Amino acid sequence: MAINIRMRGKSKGGVAEIKALIKHPMESGARMNKKTGKPYPAKYIDMVEVSVNGTKAVDAQWSGAVSANPYMAVQVKANAGDEVTISLKDNTGETGTEALTLK
Amino acid sequence: MKRRSFLKGTLATGAAAVAVNAGLLTPSTVLADWNKKAFDAKTTDDALSSVYGSSAASASGDVKLKAPAIAENGAVTPITVDATGISGVESIAILASKNPMPLVCEYTFGAGALGYVSTRIKMGQTMNVIAVVKAGGKLLKAEQEVKVTIGGCGG
Repeated sequence: MAINIRMRGKSKGGVAEIKALIKHPMESGARMNKKTGKPYPAKYIDMVEVSVNGTKAVDAQWSGAVSANPYMAVQVKANAGDEVTISLKDNTGETGTEALTLK
Repeated sequence: MKRRSFLKGTLATGAAAVAVNAGLLTPSTVLADWNKKAFDAKTTDDALSSVYGSSAASASGDVKLKAPAIAENGAVTPITVDATGISGVESIAILASKNPMPLVCEYTFGAGALGYVSTRIKMGQTMNVIAVVKAGGKLLKAEQEVKVTIGGCGG
């Protein structure tokens, strides 16, 4: 199942602030399951990419210390009509992509 | 004799399990260019050295770090790093000094992006949040203490 991303963005004077909410547990692998004494297996988003019209603008690497259901905001140079894409993957190989055409 | 062969058998299966584990783990670490060394580093200096090749960052007022003075829930601490006042920002890293693995996230910016990041991070206890900005080959930083109150009533 693909990772769910909700994104918003508006261009103002050539700069667009892109905000995204991602649905993901972000399990760091350090949290213990008190019943079994074993840690919950790690599952966190490690790579995030934001591109404008297919050109990579932001390339991020995350650890398990980013909060669960991560919120991310970045600013990119883009005008109305440009297409902004966020694509990401987690350490188990699950991926997610979401695109938005700026207004 | 029986006992001996039984031991041998368990040893062999144990070794096989290790091999399978290793086999399962290697592809993901090899394929991804995720900076494992930096994220596994136990100190902020080690993490910075692994990311930028140097841990010598100078404090700068142009790196605007917005973090709460008191975080009631350390698991969702909102952090904003605004380095739009600096030209040629190449990268921003956010570190939580006393987390077991201090490096939280690292953003690299292309020509089409501004040096601005807002996110939420997990913090285990009261500690300093450090934002490091790489611009024009130099490392600049801003640091702020965030008090984490766990399980209390926000006191």
